Amino acid sequence: VSYTPTLTQRPLAGRLTASTFVLEQPRCVFEAQGDAPMIWLVVALDGGRWRTGASATGRAVPRGPLLTHRPAATGQFDPNTEPETPPLAFQTFPNNTAYATLGTSLSNYPCPPPTGDITVLRVGSETTCSRDPNRPSCNGPLPGPGPYRVKFVAWNSSGLQAETLWSEPITLLKAQAPDNLPVTGSGRSTGMIVLTSILSILFAVLLACLVALLVTCSDSWGSSSFFSTKADAVSVRRYNTHHVYDQPAARL
Amino acid sequence: MAKDDNSVRIFQGLLILGNVVIGMCGIALTAECIFFVSDPHGLYPLLEAAENDDIYAAAWIGIFVGFALLSLSVLGIIGVIKSNRTLLMVYIILMLITFAFEMASCITAATHRDFLTPNLFLKQMLERYEKQDTDNNNDKLMSEGVTKTWNNLMLQNHCCGVHGPSDWQQYGSAFRSTHSDADYPWPRQCCVLDARESPINLDGCKLGVPGYYNSNGCYDAISGPMNRQAWGVAWFGFAILCWTFLVLLGTMFYWSRIEY
Repeated sequence: VSYTPTLTQRPLAGRLTASTFVLEQPRCVFEAQGDAPMIWLVVALDGGRWRTGASATGRAVPRGPLLTHRPAATGQFDPNTEPETPPLAFQTFPNNTAYATLGTSLSNYPCPPPTGDITVLRVGSETTCSRDPNRPSCNGPLPGPGPYRVKFVAWNSSGLQAETLWSEPITLLKAQAPDNLPVTGSGRSTGMIVLTSILSILFAVLLACLVALLVTCSDSWGSSSFFSTKADAVSVRRYNTHHVYDQPAARL
Repeated sequence: MAKDDNSVRIFQGLLILGNVVIGMCGIALTAECIFFVSDPHGLYPLLEAAENDDIYAAAWIGIFVGFALLSLSVLGIIGVIKSNRTLLMVYIILMLITFAFEMASCITAATHRDFLTPNLFLKQMLERYEKQDTDNNNDKLMSEGVTKTWNNLMLQNHCCGVHGPSDWQQYGSAFRSTHSDADYPWPRQCCVLDARESPINLDGCKLGVPGYYNSNGCYDAISGPMNRQAWGVAWFGFAILCWTFLVLLGTMFYWSRIEY
């Protein structure tokens, strides 16, 4: 079948994570032929050149040495390998070529999809069976960032019925180490500079005034003579409970 | 004469008014700083773990400065009324000391506010949230504080991570080393929870379907209160100090004119 599996188009935050990805379900892709086939997802590591899979009729592809010098798991995959058999077990991936998972009956992919259904497949969501050899079709988390290619295959009791094309390479996220995060501040803000400078100036002025005050008034501190060398005619009276009149000497 | 008498009286009245305002501002400063120190948003553990909690130190200084301003303003009023040189000199010197402390508090609050960047909180969250293998008791306490604070933040503000749930995907973390990526692309608190604090749709949350998880980041919920605290302490203190500057200048002038 000439269908290419793709990542989901929906804006899902978990579309690609470090060990899972989300595919569109293969709705309206396979036709029911004979008894209801099971649709399996095959996941393989992508690497180098790959052969454009078997033809739709399910002719066996000879599994021989490859023409390229790099191991291409997608090219090595033999679609006639039945799912849930050891060559396609999740537990030995990626040492073997590929694994098959998410096997489900075609009736679970009704065509056309009812509106409102979220038609996605999350690859890598089962964590409990990833080490369990009794579950070779485990949908376990992917062991590395990939890149991976996937395809759907349809099997029924008489063998392989149909297969789709290989998808584009899917590369998962790789997490960065948090140690490299730069935490130095973004520099001084203008508000802080203004505040600091104005306050410093005010404080300096006050200190200067105090020093001037003490220096010029130290001779008259506590003594009885008054200080009026300036021309200022205003003088401050001591406030007593009874009135005292201005000292006329200040006027002279 | 009467005119001089009046101008002296007016000046005295102005100084007394200035001191009354200082006293009231002192009470307000104390109240504001007590409010900040009480940490109503529960964000102090984040700063403590980042060893950058000086905006709280600034608030503590503000409490005591507020009391000092209140008592000194009373002293100033008495000194002006009695025109006593000794009292006023004591007042001026103590006010200058208080001025210096308040200045330190304002500058500390303003400066340390600049250190609180998103990356600081992001790095701390990634390194300490749900950290299990802690080195010593101090590390354990800080990590637990950070974990509890983040859980509260995410629950109450319906947010996830510092910038968003992608923080948990983009960076490795202590959380990631104990919780597998497939089961926990982000912590459960990032999911929309029902009344019993369990996710309303766990698969939807793991997939990241809008509506089942919190997609916005928590940075606004952190920086908002901290900004308010830092700028509240810094700028209110600045305003008080400007007013105090004027009153002190006036008092010094008054002091120089007192006759014996």
